[in-house]
Amino acid sequence: MIAFWAVAGVMSAAAAVIILHRAAAASRAQLVDPTLGLYRRQLGEIDELAERGLLSDAERRGAHAEAARRLLAAADAGSAPWVAAGGRRPILIAAIAAPLAAAGLYLAVGDLGARDQPYVQRLAAWRDADPESLAPPQMAAVLRALAAERPRDPDTLRYLAMAEAASQDINAATVALRRAVAVAPERGDLWDMLGEALTAQADGAATPDAVAAFREGLKRNPRSMSARFHLARASIEAGDRESGVRMWRELLADMGPDDGRRRALQAAIYEAEHGRTPAAADDPTRAAIRGMVSGLAERLRVAPDDPPGWVRLVRSYAVLGDATARDAALATARVRYAGRADVLRDLDEAARAQPMTITAPRTAP
Amino acid sequence: MIIEIGAFALCLALVLSLAQTGLSGSARLRRSQPLAAAGEGAAIAGFLALAVAFAALMHAFVVSDFSVANVAANSHTAKPLLYRVAGTWGSHEGSMLLWCLALAGYGAGVAAFGRGLPAGLRALTLATQGALGVLFLAYTVFASNPMARLAQPPVEGRSLNPLLQDPALAVHPPFLYAGYVGMSVVFSLAVAALIEGRVDAAWARWVRPWTLAAWSMLTIGITLGAFWAYYELGWGGWWFWDPVENASFMPWLVATALLHSSIVTEKRGAIAGWTVFLALAAFTFSMLGAFLVRSGVLTSVHAFAVDPTRGVLLLAILGVASGAAFALFVWRAPALTPGGVFAPISRESSLVLNNVLLAAATATVLLGTLYPLIREAVSGEAISVGPPYFTLTFVPLMGALLLLLPAGPLLAWKRGDAAGVLQRLWAAALIALATGLAAFALVDPRHAFGAIGVAAGAWLIAGAGAELAERVRAFRVPAAESLRRLVRLPRGAWGMTLAHAGLGVFVLGACFETSWKAEAAQALPIGGSLDVGAYHLVLEDVRAVEGPNYLAERGRIRATRGERLVCEAAPERRFFLTGGQTTSEVAICQRGASHLYLVLGERRASASGASVWLVRAYWNPWASLIFFGPVIMALGGLVSLSDRRLRLAVGRRAEAAS
Repeated sequence: MIAFWAVAGVMSAAAAVIILHRAAAASRAQLVDPTLGLYRRQLGEIDELAERGLLSDAERRGAHAEAARRLLAAADAGSAPWVAAGGRRPILIAAIAAPLAAAGLYLAVGDLGARDQPYVQRLAAWRDADPESLAPPQMAAVLRALAAERPRDPDTLRYLAMAEAASQDINAATVALRRAVAVAPERGDLWDMLGEALTAQADGAATPDAVAAFREGLKRNPRSMSARFHLARASIEAGDRESGVRMWRELLADMGPDDGRRRALQAAIYEAEHGRTPAAADDPTRAAIRGMVSGLAERLRVAPDDPPGWVRLVRSYAVLGDATARDAALATARVRYAGRADVLRDLDEAARAQPMTITAPRTAP
Repeated sequence: MIIEIGAFALCLALVLSLAQTGLSGSARLRRSQPLAAAGEGAAIAGFLALAVAFAALMHAFVVSDFSVANVAANSHTAKPLLYRVAGTWGSHEGSMLLWCLALAGYGAGVAAFGRGLPAGLRALTLATQGALGVLFLAYTVFASNPMARLAQPPVEGRSLNPLLQDPALAVHPPFLYAGYVGMSVVFSLAVAALIEGRVDAAWARWVRPWTLAAWSMLTIGITLGAFWAYYELGWGGWWFWDPVENASFMPWLVATALLHSSIVTEKRGAIAGWTVFLALAAFTFSMLGAFLVRSGVLTSVHAFAVDPTRGVLLLAILGVASGAAFALFVWRAPALTPGGVFAPISRESSLVLNNVLLAAATATVLLGTLYPLIREAVSGEAISVGPPYFTLTFVPLMGALLLLLPAGPLLAWKRGDAAGVLQRLWAAALIALATGLAAFALVDPRHAFGAIGVAAGAWLIAGAGAELAERVRAFRVPAAESLRRLVRLPRGAWGMTLAHAGLGVFVLGACFETSWKAEAAQALPIGGSLDVGAYHLVLEDVRAVEGPNYLAERGRIRATRGERLVCEAAPERRFFLTGGQTTSEVAICQRGASHLYLVLGERRASASGASVWLVRAYWNPWASLIFFGPVIMALGGLVSLSDRRLRLAVGRRAEAAS
């Protein structure tokens, strides 16, 4: 803060010196009205143009007479003289008061003591910190820097993609995974992740790029659950329901009895076969979302400085129709970000999200 | 600490503007040299303080300091350095700081180079300039502070609108603002002259260099904006009569009128009141533009999305500054001395007619820009006024202006000889007629209006040539004598010839391009083709590329004419990761002055499932002239400005020399 005031003082002093120096120089100068000089120059210019052959004699005479009349009129009009002395007090007051007023104004509108926070410095602090304490966007920033240092390391890129996805930046996750498969095309897991990221990027649609990525993944790992699941779903979306359901059933057969994904897959098969989802109580999607939301709530409990995370949590509770949890999370976040109008706005908007509805069938499968 | 130093410097600049107004105003009241000089010192110090504030904000953008709200909202670490720098003026808050910097810069310019002005006029000009500075700086500090901090900075910024991440647009605002805000000096000179009760030939001479400088900058700024819109938006056009484009065009039209009326006032002491009115109107239109762009009343790709509250404040500034100035005008104008008389056929009359047409053209643009807003405010009904309105109203007025333009400089002052002028212009008329007929006969398809436009462009260029020939008495004196006269022509004359010829070049390009452009659009698979004009285009391949902050699909399009390869173009469709926006990067194959303009659109799946890309192609004949013409015009302005008669501080040097 001392350095700040020192620099502010130097700037103020410089401004005062400029004002005082100009005033002092003016008190020594003799003021001449430039109007007469300008009209004299005009007369000279007319003569010069005529000498260059650019004005005819008649034009020269006319212009000369008019300019001469102006010169005489200006000479006759004259003007009251200006004084070269006096005014010392108001000048001194201005030179002193201006910096003081500026300091007062700054104290009212500025943020005294706020440090600069260049990105490089913040990044260095995050790199030195315990990774567990970092919010996903901070982790992503650290991993981006690492990936720039190790562009040929597929695992760094894979972790970067995971961090970007956790930060809700699926576009950046896709870019990281594209780089990862470019440096390690032999790794089926990376192709699977890329396929999943591309599917998420397209709001769940099986795009040609995503299908191509899953095929690459399946080539390298024929037992890949993710690739088989998504390729089957792509078949169903493309109209080949029979083949898609068959692939899913094969996948189900390959899953262990305790595999947590079984219920989700069974529900998907049911929906494909019956054109509707199973009962809400048994809905694996809702259960999966609940699991993710619990994870997010836990992460925010450990590392609460994550505005997008809070917005996501509030929206998730709203979507699940859990008004009590939504309001509790909203209240906590509102207190935490009381000074952040942008975050508060996002939180309020998230709280207004409509609960998702599931059409429950009358009978269970 | 750097950003806080900037915040302090901004506060200091505001207080110094206040001091500038007080010291300069009281200097005029007490006729005190030291007070006036202290006011000048405050103007210079205020400019330096703002330069520090601007540098501090730029530093925050360069180092991605997201603790500054403005940086967090408009920058990103992945953004290339050029656009991080340009981000300084890419937002509403940053551009207000640039506006204030230009305002203070012009004030400091008057203080530093205004010794050629009478003391009273200079002091009052600086007082007015300071008052404008107080209004805009107070608005910036209290309502749009670019240095505002965030308690908890985000990890990453939201980045700058991808459409603005373009080299032309990075330099467009500084030129535009140098033009807009340059009009403030003219405004201040007018207010000062009205207070002094002195609007004479000398005043007009002092006004001209500032107007010329601002007009030249504004011309370059508008041209850069049009060029950006042409190649960045991918619509194949260069001017859309968008309200924000109009907002920059209106001050330009008024400044053009002012440039010409000030000549009449300077040479003959006539139409002084009208010249002062234009001087006030030019900056009023600049402020109106600032209001339209920032108030949120307009929806435009060029507009800042700003809340209406801040728009109301800008409207209040406009009301206070212009209201006070025009009230002063109403009070003082009747006392202005009438100037010399002139005949209906004379140089003065031609310049007055020029002003009438330009003023009418400004009024039509103003009506077309504001009417939809007024209508929506009154009835709630949203309407848009588009090119058909402007074609019907603006174009005929400009047509009349272009027709009369070459005659003006050939007419004598006081009483002109119309028959003599027509005689001197017969060659130009013949060239224009021949060019128009050739365009009508040779260019397919036949287009009468296009041919008339081409003839108008040729008329302007040949007319400028005829005027030059008249000055050097070409073919009437020996060639050596003509050459001697040519070399000794004042730069002001060269500037005028260049500006008029530049307008002709622009008209030529605009009319030809508008009349004979061709376009084609088709969804193409790899290897697919389409024809536009005389060109056959084949989409050779499309591959993914990765930019610093975007992913792109880059097409390779092979353009042939007959069997001959014309160019291989690489248009891109860019997807910006932050914000998820998609932009088109147009590829332009330059064919002489014409453009083969290619846009790669979105990828789709064809019926067979294969990928196809929507390719749009335009053949824009003579399109380069549209942008080259205004550059020549601006060059003309700068050449005029370098004329020693108009150079700033020439009076001081002349006095020193004597």
